[in-house]
Order: sequence, then C-alpha cells, then structure tokens
Amino acid sequence: MSESTFMGVERDRIDWSPRIDFTKCNDCMDCVEFCPHQVFEVDENAKPKLKVKNPNNCVVFCRACSKTCGPDAITFPDKPETTKMIKAIRKAEKEAATDE
Amino acid sequence: MNESICVLPCNGLDKCAGDLSRRVALELTQSEEVELICPVLLNQNKTRYEKALAAGDLTVIDGCNTRCASKLAGDLDLAIKEKVNVSDVAKALDIKLGVEIRDDQDTQAVVREVLEKINSSAAEQTESEFIEPDSIEYNTFSHGKFIFKVPQSNYFFNENDCWVTISGNMARVGVSDYVQQNLSDILYVDPPEIGDKFEQFDDLGSIESSKAVFEIISPVSGTVVAVNVSLNDAPEQVNESPYEKGWLVEVHLSDFEEDQDLLHDCPAYFEFLQRKVAEIDV
Repeated sequence: MSESTFMGVERDRIDWSPRIDFTKCNDCMDCVEFCPHQVFEVDENAKPKLKVKNPNNCVVFCRACSKTCGPDAITFPDKPETTKMIKAIRKAEKEAATDE
Repeated sequence: MNESICVLPCNGLDKCAGDLSRRVALELTQSEEVELICPVLLNQNKTRYEKALAAGDLTVIDGCNTRCASKLAGDLDLAIKEKVNVSDVAKALDIKLGVEIRDDQDTQAVVREVLEKINSSAAEQTESEFIEPDSIEYNTFSHGKFIFKVPQSNYFFNENDCWVTISGNMARVGVSDYVQQNLSDILYVDPPEIGDKFEQFDDLGSIESSKAVFEIISPVSGTVVAVNVSLNDAPEQVNESPYEKGWLVEVHLSDFEEDQDLLHDCPAYFEFLQRKVAEIDV
C-alpha cells in the first residue's frame, strides 16, 4: 500500500503535515480546494473553520498547499530532520529484520 | 528573443505586497520598451492587448501566493516568460510586509530587489557536462484512458515522482510522466538559481500549469550547475518528453550513495506508480 507507507516506513510514524497559523489564516480555503488528498476539513460551525483532519494523508515532503496560501499561514516540519528520522527508522527496521 | 516586454502585475489595491507589485510595474514602464497590462482590463477584454502580447515577452509580477496575475495569465493561455513573486522576494530579504500599504525603507528595498531580479538576465551557465545516453527504452502501463511511461533503467525516483539520472558525478533531475499528465499543459518552469546548494528532498524550483503548481522535490543532494533554458520558450517539452528533453535541473552530486537509500530504481518505481494510480483517481 503506497498510500500508507513512505519508502517502506509506515506513514503514521512520519510526522509530516501542515501546521496552520490561525492568526494569519483568512479562511479563504484555497488550501482545501488545492489539496487532492483530503488533508483538510472545513466545519462551517466551528471556530476556526479549517482543520487538519487527515495529517497522514499528506504527501511526505510536499508543501504545495503552503505555496497557494496568500497570507502565508501554513508551515511544515523541517525537511532535513524528517529525512534523518525516516532513514533512522529504516535502518532500525533493517537491523531488526537481520537479527530475527 | 523579443526586445519588448509586457508587464502584468497583481492589481495591487488592497495589500502591501500588491502595492509593491504595482510600484515595480510602474517603474518598469518608465522604459519605452515596456507595456503595462492592466489585469482588470485584460480579464475583461483580452483583444485589447493582443498586439502587445504578440510583440513582447510576458513578465508577471505576483504580489502574494494567491498568484492572481499568474492565474489570470494561465486562464487566458498566455505564455509567461518571466515571473516574480513580491512576497517571496521580501521573505528572502527577511522583510515582513504585513497588510498595511506603506512607503518606507523596507518596501523600497523590496521594490529595488524585485526590479533587479527582473532586469538581470539569467546567470551565465557553463557548457553542460552531462553525457546524454543514445536512446532510452521505456516500459508502459495503462490506467483508464491514460498510458504511463517509466524508463527501463538508469533512472532513480523518489516517492514524490521526481527522477534523477546520473552521468559520473553529474546528474539531471526532472518529473515523471505521471506528474506531467496530472498537471496537463505546463505553462511555466520556475528554475532554481545556479550555484544553489540543496539537500535531498529540498525544493528545486517548481513547474506550473493552469491547474496547479508542482514543487520539484529533489531526489538527491548537490549543487545546481545548470537549468534547462530551452524550457523558457518551450515549457511544453516537459509534457512531450518528461524524461529527456524536458529535464529541469543539472546538478553536481554531493553524496549519491547516501541519497540512494531513499530512492526507487526503475522497476521499483514502475510498481510503485502502478499501485499509486490504482489507488487514486487520475
């Protein structure tokens, strides 16, 4: 299942998803419209309306929604840190597999 | 190369970044070779600018990431020759623009920098050292009405659908056939700067269709040595030949052995892509 792993690492072990700064967000919902992976959810009755509903649907290393954000309210985790973490998990899993 | 340019700026009425796009555009039109295109009139009546657009290259100035000016050009099928985003320039200068319209040292510095960016021609690049293979063999599979191509060998892919192909310690980076079909007609390629150093999975510029902007997520770490300048006039080469003529960036590799740990070879990517298109609607 390619959707639930990234380079063999289970997706829910990788912390990669948009963070929204609600002091900047202007509720334009361009990010919601843009993202084809249903990462966001809009609840008209909630405050704020925008929510990161499915963080693990977010494509690891993709930051495209932040580029559509006029007020620049979306940030992501550090890429080199994330890469390091993925490599460490892969290495640990490989070692665990050879130990068995 | 055309001598005259047409400038299509952000409308620039309500926010600081927009106001700066307007100021840059007005500065540019001091020159006789530059024709200013009013976004509101263009949207209303494209024919008004047909002559100017036929005679000159189009430069687009976006105020912020909403990219109204770029989107307008895309909607009207206008080929963009050059593009600059005022908010990106301000960010690079570490200047916060905010919402309020103002004329001070900071905003003047941003205007100067944007003007410089537009006026300076692309950095000189040296003769390519990359040795192209004679011919590339492909494997294909179909999904609905789509047919996807993946090279049989010598290419490596990340799971973000960007490829790298190696020649010694040089490499070329591009996007897969899947990306170009998803985006459909590519209208603009925004390349990185020559000399930029980058890590694996950093952005290496972007490509843009009227549908979306796609960030190039680098499969390798290295230094940018060249960009594919033929895409300035013919970005459609990314659609027509995503693995060959449509290459995007030429790089000097820093540690390919290390990078390879997080890359698929051709057969593995072929399988990955088959699973991917089966799972999501293309």
